[in-house]
Amino acid sequence: MPRAIVLNRADNVATLIDTGHAGETCALQGEASGEIKLLQEVPFGHKVCIRDTPAGAEVRKYGQVIGKASKALKAGEHAHAHNIESARGRGDQTKR
Amino acid sequence: MAHTFLGYPRENGTFGVRNWVAVMSIMDNCNPVTRAICQQVDGTIAVTTLFVRGQYGRDLEIAYNTLAGMGRNPNIAAVLLVGLEEQTTEEVARRIRESGKPVEAIHLQPHGTINCVAEGSRKALKLVVRASGARRKPCPTSALMVGVECGGSDTTSGLTCNPVIGQMSDRLVDDGGTVIISETSEFFGAEHLFAARALSPAVGKAFTEMVLRLEKEAMSQGIDIRGTNPTPDNMRGGLTTIEEKALGAMAKAGTRPLSGVLSYGEAPAGKGLHFLDAPAPAVENLTAFAAAGCQLIFFGTGVGNPIGNMVSPTVKVSGNVNTLRTMADNIDFDASDILEKQASVRAIGDKLYDFAIEVASGTRTSSEILDVRETAISRFAPTI
Repeated sequence: MPRAIVLNRADNVATLIDTGHAGETCALQGEASGEIKLLQEVPFGHKVCIRDTPAGAEVRKYGQVIGKASKALKAGEHAHAHNIESARGRGDQTKR
Repeated sequence: MAHTFLGYPRENGTFGVRNWVAVMSIMDNCNPVTRAICQQVDGTIAVTTLFVRGQYGRDLEIAYNTLAGMGRNPNIAAVLLVGLEEQTTEEVARRIRESGKPVEAIHLQPHGTINCVAEGSRKALKLVVRASGARRKPCPTSALMVGVECGGSDTTSGLTCNPVIGQMSDRLVDDGGTVIISETSEFFGAEHLFAARALSPAVGKAFTEMVLRLEKEAMSQGIDIRGTNPTPDNMRGGLTTIEEKALGAMAKAGTRPLSGVLSYGEAPAGKGLHFLDAPAPAVENLTAFAAAGCQLIFFGTGVGNPIGNMVSPTVKVSGNVNTLRTMADNIDFDASDILEKQASVRAIGDKLYDFAIEVASGTRTSSEILDVRETAISRFAPTI
């Protein structure tokens, strides 16, 4: 069973330390326990959403904000650059 | 109990972990002669540089101070400067002489390449004979200054190698030593946590200003920095945003208070944890550590970055089982037991501190043995 680490109870993502495949059950370790069913493949080192998160909501890891959901995230979904936006160094969003 | 390592006491009260003669270029057109001398003379290291000619103002001061800082580094027993002409060479020479170590120089004008390589090799030979008379003696660990860096990061970096380096940093600070963390852009999103650790409000403010100034500069380009930092390999390794990368990168600095902040080319005045305002890419960052006087560098890596520094031996630490298999030749310390065997960060960090003392006492790193080393001084302005 692939393993995923939760670093803080406030986190809505966990980091996989094995490769996870769609449909597999993933064991949560660290600051949370339990299992989560992966909705899609999540590569080694990538994150899985562990709590449904609406679009625009904060994404937390280490208990800290690492960005915002650019679309709604379902628990079990691969959470990465395609659905999380950075809020820092965004010159592209600055009015010029 | 006072901890010690076996090192080389220097004239000015510092302690080296290596005993090299540095052959150092004053500017880029000197590099071929520098390399030729080092090929001829065992016991030397080549400290090359790009540009310098045509640089001016603050940028030129940074270049001179960084070259001189590397020359003053306690790992260097003596320096042979390779210059184009005497006036520019003297700018660097006088700054190194403050340390009391032997400084010699040769010049391309008017002697030319072949004569310079011959004369330089003879001078380097004498310096190496003299340096080789030094013997390692017990030195206090409080004299150690280490730089902490990460490169080729992925999500294992923030879980394994960086917190392990952080535990080693805490141990060294507690022993009275000095730790420098850098990579200004890799505090975007974590700066509030680090600023809260400042010993004084002035230090915290200076640190935050350095981070925000760089972010403002980057944003003035009108682009999303994602793709540059985090890099494409960071993102393949699972890092999604600069905030996530920063929170993991900061773990290298452990938990002790922030004592002071430094500019590129500057050295700390006191002990404890310092922040150095320098660009994140490894080569130019490690160069700033060497110029600050770091005798050792600890470099956490996830997906793998082999590069080390010329002057300051660079210990590669990884906790990514895949990288430890595919890039084993480039990794000095394995931190994978944290994820694979649920070992504690503290236990592995304590082992890394023991390894630090070994490397300080003479155990060689992979990047030294394979000569996977490079020097680059950051530039902040155009040449004219």
